[in-house]
Amino acid sequence: MDCTLEVGEDAVILKVIGRVDEATWNSFSEGLSGAVRNARDDGLTRLIVDLQQLAYMSSRGLRALTVAKREADEAGVNISLASPNDVMREILAISRYDKLFTVTDTAEAKR
Amino acid sequence: MLVRFWGTRGSLPVALTAPSVRQKIVGALAAANGMRFDDADAIDRFVDELGFAAGATYGGATPCVELEVQGPSYIICDMGSGLRSFGLDSIRRNAEGHARAYNFFLSHLHWDHIMGFPFFTPAFDPEAQIRIHSAHPDAEQALRRQQEEISFPVPFDWLRADIAFVTMAEGQPIEVDGLVVEAKAQKHSHVSYGYRFTDRDGCITIYSTDSEHKPSDMEDEAAFIDFFRDADLVVCDTMYSLAESVSMKEDWGHSSNIVAIDLCHEAGAKRLALFHHEPTYEDEDIQRMHEESIRYEQLTRERSPLDVICAYDGLEVRI
Ligand SMILES: [Zn+2]
Ligand SMILES: [Zn+2]
Repeated sequence: MDCTLEVGEDAVILKVIGRVDEATWNSFSEGLSGAVRNARDDGLTRLIVDLQQLAYMSSRGLRALTVAKREADEAGVNISLASPNDVMREILAISRYDKLFTVTDTAEAKR
Repeated sequence: MLVRFWGTRGSLPVALTAPSVRQKIVGALAAANGMRFDDADAIDRFVDELGFAAGATYGGATPCVELEVQGPSYIICDMGSGLRSFGLDSIRRNAEGHARAYNFFLSHLHWDHIMGFPFFTPAFDPEAQIRIHSAHPDAEQALRRQQEEISFPVPFDWLRADIAFVTMAEGQPIEVDGLVVEAKAQKHSHVSYGYRFTDRDGCITIYSTDSEHKPSDMEDEAAFIDFFRDADLVVCDTMYSLAESVSMKEDWGHSSNIVAIDLCHEAGAKRLALFHHEPTYEDEDIQRMHEESIRYEQLTRERSPLDVICAYDGLEVRI
C-alpha cells in the first residue's frame, strides 16, 4: 500500500495504491490524518480519497476512514471517495459505507 | 464436537407473523406452478431450491447454543429464550440415559441472554446438577432478580435442582469434562465475555457474542485474533452493518459481518457462524446479509477460505 498526496486549488487529493488490510491499515490511517491536516493548514475544505489504483480495502481501511472522517469533521474538511474499482464498489455497498461517504466516479479538483 | 443452535436472535425474541407465513406459501406455490412431484423426496428437493428464506425461517429465539462434546454433561452457552426448547429436549435425552448435569457459560447478564432460565424445566428436577459459569460475579444476583415476585411468579429458591455458580476469570482457563474453557472480556455494556472451548480432540469453538470492535480500538484486535486463532468454528455477533456500527449504533455494543470475517481471516479460522440477528430483520434481510457476507469473504480472501454460515434456530454443525 502506498499513498501520495496532491494539493489542488480547492481540494487535497490522496491517491491510494495497492490494498489496505491488516498489514497496511496503520500507514493508510497515517496518510489520511496527514491529508486532513494538510487540507486544514491550506484552508481547503475538501479531501478526495482517490481509489482508482486501490485493489480493495477490508474493514480495517473502512474503519480508518471513519476515524479520519471524525478528524476531518473537526477541521471543517469534507472527505469524499473517488473512482473505486468494481470490487471496492461492492465492498462499499456490503458495508453500507456508500451511505456514510459521497462516492464519485472521478477525482475532480481544480489545479 | 457438535454445535446445536437453540436461539440465534439478538435483543428480543420475535416470531413469524401470519402475513409472512402466507407470503412464503404463496411464493412456493407460485414457483411450483405447473410442476408435478413424484414423491416426498422430490418435494423436499424443490423446497431446498426455493432458498432458505422462502422455504424456512431463521427463527426468533434469543441466544442459546449447545456444544455436544465427549464428556457426560451438557454444555450450554447463554440462557436466552431458546433455552426453553433445549430444556425440554434434554429431558427427553435424560430419559434415554443422558447424565442430568448441565454446565452453563454466560456471555453476560442482559435480559436476552438469561430470560430462558425461569422456563428451564430441569431446574425443577431434584436429581439435576446445574453449574452456571460466568466471569460476572453478579450472575447469581441477575438470575435471582428476574425471578423476584414483581417479575415472575416462581422464586429462584423454589428451584429443586442442585444449582451452583462458578465465577471465572479472564486468562485463567478451566477444565470441565475434559473441555478446556477460556474467557475473554469484550466491549459491551456491563462487559461481555467470549469463550474459547477446546475439546480432547483439539476441536475449537469460539462463542463471541455482544462484542463491539470500535474503529478507535483497532490496536486491541490482536488479542481477539489470538483468541480466535485456528478455530474450527467462530460464533460471532454480526447484528449490524459496519456503517451502522460506526455511526448511529456506535457504543450499542455489537459488531458487523465484515469485521467478523476480517477477524476470522486474520486468525486462520475455518468457519464463521453469523449470529445474534437483528430482531427487526425479516428472513429475507438475514439471507441477504448472509449472501453479502459470503461475497465479502471471497473479495477479501488472502489465504485459505473461510466457510461463512448463518446460524438459525435448529441448526446443527458438526466439527
Ligand atoms: Zn444480546
Ligand atoms: Zn447484551
